[in-house]
Formats: sequence, structure tokens, C-alpha cells
Amino acid sequence: MREHAEFMLEKEKIDALIEDGYEITAVQENLEGAFVQFSNGEKQAHLHIESADARKYFSFLLKKQKEEAAST
Amino acid sequence: MATNQSEAWISVEDIKANFTEAHPALKQKDAVDEANRCLYCYDAPCITACPTDIDIPAFIKKIASGNMKGSAVTIMDANPSGASCARVCPTEELCEGACVLNHASTPIMIGDLQRYATDWAIKNEQVLFKKGEDTKQHIAIVGSGPAGLSAARELARFGHRVTIYEASAEAGGLNTYGIVSFRLPKEIPAWEVKQVKDLGVEIKTNTIVGKDISAAELTEQYHAVIIAAGMGKVPTLGIDGEELEGVRDAIEFVKMTKSGKWEENLSGKKVAVIGAGNTAVDAATCSVRLGAENVKMVYRRTEKEMTAYAFEYEFAKQDGIEFKWLSAPAKIEGNSSGEVTGLLVNKMKLEAAGEDGRQKVKAIEGATETLDVDLVIKAIGQERLNPLIEAFEVTHSDGVIQIDETTYATSKTGVYAIGDIIFGKGQGEAMVVSAAQQGKKAAWAIHSELTENAVHSA
Amino acid sequence: MANLETSLAGIRSPNPFWLASAPPTNSGYQVQRAFEAGWGGAVWKTLGDPILNVSSRFAATSFNGQAVAGFNNIELITDRPLEVNLREIEETKIKYPNHAIIASLMVEPNQEKWHEIVKMVEAVGVDGLELNFGCPHGMAERGMGAASGQVPELVKQQTAWVKEVAQTPVIVKLTPNITDITFTAKAAVEGGADAVSMINTINSLAGVDLDSWNTVPNVAGKGAHGGYCGPAVKPIALNMVAECARRPDINVPISGMGGVSSWKEAAEFMLMGASNVQVCTAAMHHGFRIVEDMIDGLNNYLDEKQIGSVAELVGKTVPKYSDWGELDLNYRVVAQIDTETCINCNKCHIACEDTSHQCIDMLKDEQGNDFLQVREDDCVGCNLCSIVCPVDGAIEMVEAPRKTGEEPMTWNERQSLVSMMGVK
Ligand SMILES: Cc1cc2nc3c(=O)[nH]c(=O)nc-3n(C[C@H](O)[C@H](O)[C@H](O)COP(=O)(O)OP(=O)(O)OC[C@H]3O[C@@H](n4cnc5c(N)ncnc54)[C@H](O)[C@@H]3O)c2cc1C
Ligand SMILES: Cc1cc2nc3c(=O)[nH]c(=O)nc-3n(C[C@H](O)[C@H](O)[C@H](O)COP(=O)(O)O)c2cc1C
Ligand code: SF4
Repeated sequence: MREHAEFMLEKEKIDALIEDGYEITAVQENLEGAFVQFSNGEKQAHLHIESADARKYFSFLLKKQKEEAAST
Repeated sequence: MATNQSEAWISVEDIKANFTEAHPALKQKDAVDEANRCLYCYDAPCITACPTDIDIPAFIKKIASGNMKGSAVTIMDANPSGASCARVCPTEELCEGACVLNHASTPIMIGDLQRYATDWAIKNEQVLFKKGEDTKQHIAIVGSGPAGLSAARELARFGHRVTIYEASAEAGGLNTYGIVSFRLPKEIPAWEVKQVKDLGVEIKTNTIVGKDISAAELTEQYHAVIIAAGMGKVPTLGIDGEELEGVRDAIEFVKMTKSGKWEENLSGKKVAVIGAGNTAVDAATCSVRLGAENVKMVYRRTEKEMTAYAFEYEFAKQDGIEFKWLSAPAKIEGNSSGEVTGLLVNKMKLEAAGEDGRQKVKAIEGATETLDVDLVIKAIGQERLNPLIEAFEVTHSDGVIQIDETTYATSKTGVYAIGDIIFGKGQGEAMVVSAAQQGKKAAWAIHSELTENAVHSA
Repeated sequence: MANLETSLAGIRSPNPFWLASAPPTNSGYQVQRAFEAGWGGAVWKTLGDPILNVSSRFAATSFNGQAVAGFNNIELITDRPLEVNLREIEETKIKYPNHAIIASLMVEPNQEKWHEIVKMVEAVGVDGLELNFGCPHGMAERGMGAASGQVPELVKQQTAWVKEVAQTPVIVKLTPNITDITFTAKAAVEGGADAVSMINTINSLAGVDLDSWNTVPNVAGKGAHGGYCGPAVKPIALNMVAECARRPDINVPISGMGGVSSWKEAAEFMLMGASNVQVCTAAMHHGFRIVEDMIDGLNNYLDEKQIGSVAELVGKTVPKYSDWGELDLNYRVVAQIDTETCINCNKCHIACEDTSHQCIDMLKDEQGNDFLQVREDDCVGCNLCSIVCPVDGAIEMVEAPRKTGEEPMTWNERQSLVSMMGVK
């Protein structure tokens, strides 16, 4: 698959969770990619993120999430 | 080029397109690649071959290093007509002919690189030189061709005051009026003129020396005078029919094409150009570009003796011009309404070489031919300006002013002469580049004369 | 006219162009010719313990028709008697009082030897000293040059010995034949150096002759490694200068060299933190006259940028040079092909297809004409296509909308965030 399409698929999954009020609660990176854990307080969700751009993307969301937490 | 060999009509748009510069400019990549190909020889033969001694390897190195202003300054410093010369110099006989790469691969395209650098300066409106501190010495120059402009530029850089008297409405001499626009667009000499004017040089156009102001007035009023008036109109052929409507002077003809007015449309016309020099080629190629159906160059000698530069001859051939060698015009035929209907030529033959090594030609008794033409353009050289020369009371030989070859001083103290007016009788060279060099040298001589005098009188 | 005067640790010269210590500065005759041509300073061919040279000595690599893309030599320091050199230095300094003359020195790592030679050269009026800890061949086998220049303690110690007696500024010339030049630069500073200069030549072998199987160059059929310099080494030298310039603890001026061939490289080195530049190969290739365009070109560049003095250039790009971890991961450029300018050589396509990210498509328009198009979404902005493109202006790298986050985020930031997010 083309890299951008791969990114878009993973991004959609991430965005869907964020849309539903999930936050990133844990990240583990290894040679297989990133395993990101989300939580909306009640339920947990897990995504295995492989594409390079999506790994940039969730870390950027993480940064925003931290900043928002700090400002509230 | 748009021609109308099939249709009998050419539009003004096509004519305009035909008269835009024919040789394309180098693109940036070509220029930089070519500049890097230059070997940057030491004591380079191209410098020696350039009549104005441009430091060619230096200006090319500067193109390679991206120092475009420095490159333009190097060129224009040595040659005030450097932008024009980039286009009209017979480079294969001068700089490029001397390039050491002729022996190893192909010579560097020096002319094109020179054009690239000067085009940059024109486009970026660069001020390249400054006038010197005022010396209060005032010099008059007759004529604003490349010779006069070059002298003016150098004198102004020394701080002298300069006034140029120019008969025509625009400055620039033959660069402006005489060399066809598809080889030398008018904007190029116009920029060179502006460079000179920006140094404070005054150019009085529409002012004829000998009519609007006398030679004596100039020699009285100025600390020195330079005669740089070039040559005159095309002489008469001395054959019947010369007074007809359709008989033209090549220089006037080319001048018309440079006015940008395009009054002349030669659609369907058949043209004979008499002569085989550069002027003749220019008149012929202009005719083709004005839509003429057929253009012949008529010359009493052969290809071997023709005086046009090789590149000019090549250019004429590419434009589809016919050549009538060994044909001496004998009579121009016309009708009752004064129009040209034909050109009667006498066929010639070659004979043994004379003392000057040049083969003689002789008319073949009874061998004549009438060429079907409706326009005859005379291009058999230019008249000398004897009345002007005599008004200055300088020694001359058949209208060629005699000068000292290092100072360009004439027989009369304080009067100098440069350019086409000193060309002939084995003296000088009728080229823009030599006119420019002579201008520089006369200016240097005048400067040293004037400063020496100043020291003496102080 | 911009002011081109420069000062390196107090050593003044009319312009930033010095000849590096090498054959061009072998004798008074040459250095005087160089000053006449316009060079602002000269670092005399290294003086030191007597040596002998071999024949032949140089070789060059040409690349695609460009002669002397790189230059290789197995020459040692001066082979002329010290006394002759000193006499010529003195004579040249008297004739050209406003030009900088620096004595390059190399002796055994021994305090007395250093003291002795420093006093001798200062007695004839040099403006400064350059300690040659860089020569990669011949001298190194005897514990001098690069051999001592590769050991930070030796650099520091010898610099300190020199500083004990030196009256003039001391420049330490560093060898690039080391993993991280900031170690030796730092050592020089600790030893009291007033400036550092870099780079000396890089260990090299120019080639092998495929008929004789001799090395190039060879001496009676045998070769030995030499030192590489010229245009090919510029990027290496520029980085070394930049790495030193951005280190606050290497707080001495830098004299930059390695591949300076025109005013352009000089300006680059100065922007990257060098206070002046030194030149060897370009002068050897073209003669001293090349300095004319270096001066003229630099001057026109400064005028165009409306900068009054060349000193204002020094270090301007240093703050823009950083660690990889500080670069913005979200910044994006993509390639754009101008089909009007493109000549359809397809080099960009195959470069991207085979060796990058497969995002340049070969397409046909309605008239059946070929054209190339970048799928910008897939383009990672690596620059490869624009590098291989033979036509100016056909491929432009343009800034593209960020897709992984609107604002900057560096690797370092990301890693610290992610590391705080261990599995809970
Ligand atoms: C058609 C043609 C093509 C040419 N092609 C080339 C070429 O390709 N390459 C090349 O190197 N050379 C070429 N030449 C030659 C070149 O143009 C001349 O050698 C050069 O222009 C001579 O310069 P000049 O300054 O002496 O004279 P000119 O350029 O002739 O200038 C003389 C000036 O003096 C003015 N003048 C004359 N009398 C008076 C007066 N009484 N009072 C005031 N002003 C006066 C004139 O109006 C004119 O402006 C060509 C010439 C012609 C005619
Ligand atoms: C033939 C040759 C001899 C050299 N000799 C010396 C030397 O004696 N001392 C020294 O410090 N550097 C010496 N160098 C290195 C130069 O001074 C300079 O550091 C190096 O060539 C990089 O600059 P460049 O790319 O402009 O040539 C020599 C270089 C060459 C090519
Ligand atoms: S440059 Fe050539 S001639 Fe001169 S010393 Fe070297 S090898 Fe000999």
C-alpha cells in the first residue's frame, strides 16, 4: 500500500477514538511499531500504529493533550 | 521565421517577429556549464585576440562563480560597447578563433557568454561606472557611434566634461541605425548610450557639425575635439536608371527597418542587392524578412572575394538568398511611371591575379542578362565625409583621416579622429569593437595631454 | 564598497582571504606575488625539523569532466633551511606590512623544541603562529602532525608549551582525521589557543592505475596514503567549522578552509562561523589571480545584501545549525514539477521509483504527450528528484500543509512525551 494511504487509514482510526472522547493513556514503541492505548475513562482501546506519519501524528496529539491538561 | 514564399502577403505581426533577435540567449544552465568549461588560461590568447583586451577568462570565471555584476564590469570596463559586441563581433575571427580549445574540442562560446553577462546588467539596471572628479576640461566629440561613445565614457571617468554632437535624432551611430535589429536590437546600444549619459556626458542630437555648429567653433571652444563621424551614404553606381523610385541606399533601407514603423512591406517583390559586404547581406536578409518573394545578391566578383563575415554569409544562405556571382550591374530598367522593372547585368570572368594578389575580373563581351526585379538596393560601401574632414583642416587621404596610431591625434593639434572615419588605406578596421578600442585610446591620450598641460600651467 | 578587513584573534588583514600553509606559500617570491595579486594573508609553508620529499607528490580526482574535484598529496612540510625561510619572511613582512604573515610550525612534541622555534619565527616579525597538528602523512609516522593532533592531551600540552613563550596569537590547525573534531578543538582551547583553524587534509588514496596496478600517485612503483583537499572536501570541512562554532566552550575564532574555491564558499564558511578563510587547492589549480574574483564577488555580494562589513557575516547561520533531535518532525516540503520547464528525461521518476518513495508518476495528457507528476501526499520531501533534475527550475521543493500536526514538534520533545507514557 502507498504510504500516505496507510497513514490515512491509521489516522482515521485514531481520529475516530479521539472523536469519541478517548485520550492516549499509554504508548509502547518497539521494532513492530507503536502500541497505543486509549481510554475514555470507562473503556480502553488499543491501536497498533505502523506508519511513520501516524507515529508522528499520535505523538503530536499527545503533545496537545498534555498542553490542554496543563492549561485546565 | 515567417516568410510568404507561397502566399503573396506578409502581415505586420510577422514582420515584427522576423525582426526580433534571431540568435537565442543562453539559458542559465548553459551559461554556467559553458563558463565552467572555460579553462581559465593564463595569459590567454583570447584576450590578445580581442581588440579591446577584455579579460575574457576573468569575466567567464565570474559567471561561473555567480559574480554577475563583476562579470559585466569586467566586460564593459574594457569595452563600452561590450553588449553590442557580444552580438555583432566576428568572434570566430577574434576571441573564439583564438580559444585554445579549438585544438582540443570546441571553442568556448565567448560571445554568447558576454551577452549573458551584459544582458544580466541590462535587466538588473546596474550602474557599473562612476564619473571622475571634475577637471573642468571640456571635450567635444562629433558623432555618437561606438567610437564616440567609448571616448566619451573614458573621458567622463577621468572627470572631463564631454559634449557629443550627433546629427541623428538618436545616439548610437550604426549600432542604433545600421546593424539590423534581428542581430542587434536597438535597446542594446540604447543601454550603452544610457551608461555614458549617466556619467554626465551631454549628447546634443539633431545637431550637424558643419551646419548647426561649425568645425571652427568646436576647435575654439573646447580643450580637444574628437571626430568620430563614421562614413556617409552609399555612393552612386554611375549607371543608367539610378534615379528610379525603386532604387535604394542599403544603409537608409536598414535604418528604416530599425525605426520600428514597418511602412515597407515587400510582399511579392523581387529584390536585387548590389554588393557583397556585411551591409549588402544585412539589406538582403532585411528584404526577406519584409516578405520579399525573391532576393538576389549581385556581385561582380566571386564568393572568394566577398567581404562579408563568414557568419553573415552563412546567415544569408539560411535566409534563402540567391547569389549572382560575376555579375556587374550595367543598367537599371524602369517603366514610364518610374518603377524598376529589371536589372541588366554584364557577366564577368576571372583573370590572372594582379600585383595585389587579387584576381582581376573582366566583362565578357556581349554576355548580358536582365534580372527580373522590382527593387534594387545599393550596398557598395560608404562615401567618405570629405566636407567635414576638410572643415577641420586635418590631413587625409581620399577622405581617410591620417592619424597617429597610438594617440589617434590628427595633423591638427587638439583634434583627434577615431572609428570608421579613419578606416581605409590599410588603416584601422571597420568594426564596432575596433571603434570602441580607438575611443578608449584617444581618450587616454587626451587625458594624459590635458593633465600634463594642467601640471605645466599650475 | 563593503569593508573586507578582517581580524582573527587580533591578526588583521585587508581581506579574509589567506593562502593556506602549502606549496603556494613555500617562498618569499611566491608570497610576495600572492600579496601583489591581492591575497590578504599567507600562512607560510610549515617550518620544522628537516625533512625530505619524494617525487611524484600530487594526484587529483576529476569528476565528470571537472578537473581537480579533489586533490591528493604526499608532500611533507618545507624542505628548505629554516634560516632561508626566516630571512624571506622578514623581507616579505617589511615589504608588505599590512598583510598578515603567519608561521606554520611543526616540531616533535617537546617543550624546548617548541620554545626554540616560536622564538625564532617571532624574532623575524610574524603576525601569528599556526601549529600544524594536521599533516596526515610522513610527519605522523614520526609522532608529529596528525599523530599528535589526534590525541587531545598532546594538542593541549603542545599548545600550552607554545603559549608559554608566544608573543603573537596562536592558531591551532586541526586534523579532520578524527571522529569528532570538537574534542581536539576543545583541547586546543584548554591549552590556551587564541584561534583554531581547520581542516588539514583527509587521509586518502587518489586511485589505482588499472594497467600497471600502481597506486596514484606512486613513487617508483610504491604508494603511501596522502591527504585529500579541494572542492570535494568542502562539506566535511564546513561541518567541522560549524560544529566548533556552535559549541560555547570552543570560544575562540575559527579560520576555515577545505575546498574554498570562490567567494561563495568563503561566504558560506564565514556564515558558518569562520572569521576568515584559507585556500590552497584553488590557488594551485588556477594561480594567485583567482583572489581577484574572490574579493570582487564577495564585495558585490555584500553590497547587494547591503552589508557594510564582511565581519557582519561571521556566524550568522550558526544559530540555525543544531542537533537532529531539535528539528521539527511536522514540517513538510514536497516536490512540484513544472511541466512547462520539464524536458521529460524521467530521471526524477526513476530515482524516486527505485530509490525513494515511488511517488512520481509518468502520465500522458489528452494529446498523448508525456508528463510527470508528483503525488504530493506520498512525497516525503527528500529532495532527491530535485537533486537529480538536470534542468533549472523544473522541480521545486515547496512547503506543504502539515499533515501530522499543525505545530512544530521535535524528536526530542516526542521522545520525552512518549517515555512518560509507559504502559499503565
Ligand atoms: C549594415 C552594417 C552592418 C554592420 N555590421 C557589423 C557587424 O556585424 N560587426 C561589426 O563589428 N561591425 C559592423 N558594421 C560596422 C560598424 O557598424 C562600424 O564599424 C562602426 O559603427 C563604426 O563606428 P563609428 O563610431 O566610427 O561610426 P558610426 O557608428 O557610423 O557613428 C558615426 C555617428 O556620427 C554621426 N555623424 C556623422 N556626421 C556627423 C556630423 N557632421 N555631425 C554630427 N554627427 C555626425 C552619425 O550620425 C553617426 O551617429 C556594420 C556596418 C553596417 C553599415
Ligand atoms: C600539496 C599540499 C601540501 C600541503 N602542505 C601543508 C603543510 O605543509 N602544512 C599545513 O598545515 N597544511 C598543508 N596542506 C594543507 C592545506 O594547508 C589545507 O589545509 C588543505 O589543502 C585544505 O584546503 P584546500 O581545500 O583549499 O586545499 C597541504 C596541502 C597540499 C595540497
Ligand atoms: S608543476 Fe610540473 S614542471 Fe613544475 S615542478 Fe611540478 S611537475 Fe615539474
